[in-house]
Amino acid sequence: MCGIAGFIANDSSTLGGDLNRMLRKLIHRGTDATGVAFYENRDQIKLRVALSSPEAEPDLKSLVEARARVIDSRIYAGKGVYTFYEASLAMEEEGVKELNWALDSHPDLCVHSIGPRISIYKDEGSAQELAQRHEIKPGSCSHGIGHVRLATESVENINLAHPFTSYLLPELALVHNGQFTNYFNLRRSLEAKGIRFKTTNDSEMAAHFIAWQMTEKGLSLEEALRLGLDTFDGVFTLLVATDDKIGALRDRLGIKPMVYFQQEEGRVLFGSEQICLTPIVDDVFATEMEPGEVKVWSV
Amino acid sequence: MRAMGEPAKKEDKDKAPRPKDVQRGVWSAETIAEIRHKAFYGKHRIRGCGSVRSYPSFDDLIILPAMLTRMSIDTYREDCKTQTVLGHRFAKKPLVIETPIMISGMSYGALSKEAKTALAKATDIVGTSINNGEGGLLPEERANSYKQVVQILPSRMAFSLRSIEAADALELAAGIGAKPGLAGHLMGSKITKEIAEMRQLPVGIDLHSHPRHSDIFGADDLVLKIQELRDVTDYQIPIFFKFAAGRVKEDVKIAVKAGVDGVVIDGSQGGTGAAPVIASEHLGIPTLPALVQATQALEEMGLKDEVSLIVSGGITNGADVAKALALGADAVALGTGVMVAMGCAVCLRCHEGRCAFGIGTQDPELRSRLDIDQAARKVANYITAMTAEAVMLAKAAGKTQLKSMEREDLRSLSLTACAMTGIPLAGSNYTFGEMFGFC
Amino acid sequence: MVRLNIKGMSSREVNARLRELMGTEAEIVIEHPDSVHNLGAALKGQGRIVVEGSTGFYTGGFLEGPTMVIKGNTGWYTGDNMTAGEIIVEMNTGSNAAPSMIGGTVVIKGSTGSRTGFGMKGGDLIICGDAGRWTGGMTLGGRIIILGRVGQGLGESMYKGIIHTADPQVEEKIGGNVIVKPIDRREKEEVAGLLARYGLQAGVENLASVLPNPSGRHQYHLFKPTHKKAG
Repeated sequence: MCGIAGFIANDSSTLGGDLNRMLRKLIHRGTDATGVAFYENRDQIKLRVALSSPEAEPDLKSLVEARARVIDSRIYAGKGVYTFYEASLAMEEEGVKELNWALDSHPDLCVHSIGPRISIYKDEGSAQELAQRHEIKPGSCSHGIGHVRLATESVENINLAHPFTSYLLPELALVHNGQFTNYFNLRRSLEAKGIRFKTTNDSEMAAHFIAWQMTEKGLSLEEALRLGLDTFDGVFTLLVATDDKIGALRDRLGIKPMVYFQQEEGRVLFGSEQICLTPIVDDVFATEMEPGEVKVWSV
Repeated sequence: MRAMGEPAKKEDKDKAPRPKDVQRGVWSAETIAEIRHKAFYGKHRIRGCGSVRSYPSFDDLIILPAMLTRMSIDTYREDCKTQTVLGHRFAKKPLVIETPIMISGMSYGALSKEAKTALAKATDIVGTSINNGEGGLLPEERANSYKQVVQILPSRMAFSLRSIEAADALELAAGIGAKPGLAGHLMGSKITKEIAEMRQLPVGIDLHSHPRHSDIFGADDLVLKIQELRDVTDYQIPIFFKFAAGRVKEDVKIAVKAGVDGVVIDGSQGGTGAAPVIASEHLGIPTLPALVQATQALEEMGLKDEVSLIVSGGITNGADVAKALALGADAVALGTGVMVAMGCAVCLRCHEGRCAFGIGTQDPELRSRLDIDQAARKVANYITAMTAEAVMLAKAAGKTQLKSMEREDLRSLSLTACAMTGIPLAGSNYTFGEMFGFC
Repeated sequence: MVRLNIKGMSSREVNARLRELMGTEAEIVIEHPDSVHNLGAALKGQGRIVVEGSTGFYTGGFLEGPTMVIKGNTGWYTGDNMTAGEIIVEMNTGSNAAPSMIGGTVVIKGSTGSRTGFGMKGGDLIICGDAGRWTGGMTLGGRIIILGRVGQGLGESMYKGIIHTADPQVEEKIGGNVIVKPIDRREKEEVAGLLARYGLQAGVENLASVLPNPSGRHQYHLFKPTHKKAG
């Protein structure tokens, strides 16, 4: 069992802490890892990469420097064996996809996020530990999503934690509660189209599927989610964020929970349980998503 | 003192125990009878049904259930979709059937008119397709079937533009699993006046059809033949290619390259009305490894999602269906199975035309024993129950669609199945060489 | 009456404290519940607990006697398998309310989600607002009253028990193996009495009754071909 949460807050300077407090309320759903994705109101391409060993640092630097000018960067140890690299880059936005794939092609590197607005932090441990160790201090943000993970395999491999992105659409982030029971079939279908996978986590497949539908097939986020509803099999509640939308999807059996609450000022809160809304709003009538429902909010 | 090797009691020499030599090695009763048959007739033996020996089959695989890694779907109160779409690669009107279980090509000639009519009626009850087989399209079959597949065989008996116009899909056949490399055998006793007229044959002859299409002498011709059929059908209906399982990967790749919408692979367990026994028992590979190779061929071409894959040969129950789908099939076709549902006892004597159940005969008195509506109901029941079985297994594995079955849901129970399919052995997860699937 | 501030306490600590207090206090008011899970789990006795706020999952799970009033929302599985007592939720509750409930009463003044009252064995479950899909599935007894609307699959394969709802489209929403009929006089009296006990103003005239089909034999179709649908 995992837990997911999300927040559309428009111009919020507190979104980082807010989302963190929401995730802390879900800790019973997953203590193995925590991950968050923020969309900051900045226009600077930021790259975040996990290195499975510090020895990969020279390769990382040369791959990055061949394609971008590094404005500033930091490199630090995560909770487990991973090292994290974060850099602000000066480069053309068109080159982001290629840099994303170049880094992911390296066996010891995994891009956690890259894009002008997105930042993803994910590591072993709780939301609190994540915020402290990674010094998460986002600027003014429009929206964000988060996840707490109960790992059924490979706890130590942080690249299997959510949120997931896809090099096909780098500013897309996805968190998932549940399992896909046709993950392998769908992965094979996507691989036949030339899409390359970085991990064996089934949620990565959903990120590529939606990203591919939106880029290659020109579907909107809502259309891609509806197609996902019919294509994915299993149990799945998804929160998918792009740079200007958050979409929520609940499978037709409605086994995993999802509640949301819409405030008047265009702020929307999402979560697996009512409890995770309580740090932000007092007792409210949160709406439970219907089984088989897809809803998309513009930010 | 007594010497060694002497009987225990000299007086009992006549009552000495007789040794028993029960085994005969290769000289079994069956082998001896076969030799005597050849000695008498000077030629090969022809018999109905096809191969009767045991092969590694879907029974050697097991399905992994959902437990904590995934949720199982309520067998009785939650749905699992069974509708199947075939032939969508190029055809404007793919074949849409309600279950992945189809009825395969069995000729009017091998089967009685009553049997063909009953089978057609059954397809309308459950919403699936029937294939006319060799020797033309019986009007009663087309009038009653839900979806009609029309087979194009080398003999082209009773095949014309009318046949194509009546079809919902075409199946170009190169061979069948029961007698790969050979073709239709219909004995004189079953070639009645009516059948002779339909097929344009003299009455009472023994029919041995030619095994090769006279206008397809290889892959290069096949491309053009398919193109011809496309121009005739205006790309409306799917064109499938059926062959017996032999060099499956290469055959699939050639057919796909030639432009078919789907391939139909008939394994060695496939049945027939009459075939030389030596051909049934010693030609062609079983359905299980054939299916795996066909899936691999399509994946190597990057066309698994585009080209439909149908398998036949020894499919008996819903477990076979679920496992076949897991290994990459989009649908399965039944032959002998639906005959058994109608009453066939697998006596292996279809070739004599004396079928006591009125199924594999042309004798009017015997045919009258088959109640068409009752037989149709039985076949429909069988297909319904098989679909329900497949659904039950898929739900237990956590699926809400039959086509969500994956090879990673399977494990092998025998070394042979594991080696043939690349599905890991239950328990150790051992595989010989490359695993088929991710885990 | 005693006030108990449970801010920062684990559910284990809270429940231990409640057990201690139940013997001596007639009423316990809980402050800062902060959506704690399992509040009142397996609590016995005759006292009354008032929660000033919302609780999390399994509120009053295995409850055996006390009355719990939650002034906010409750999470999933409220009243799970409870044997006796009352749970009154002033706002709404999450899905899967009162699963396998054996006895007592659960009143939800707001709305609830899907799979309400699954496998209920006895007792009364009253929902003043709407209930979601698969309400009252496979019940073995008990009574569910939904004064608002219901979702699809109502009463799916009930064995025993009864469901009343005011949803005007109830006929289109019932699940398999159940029937709908107008509420009869005896049922009306019982329901009216029950609603009055909780001060719920609602007419009983427009309620329908959903019951297991009289033959008791459940029909299931695992294969559902669609080619013969009227169209």
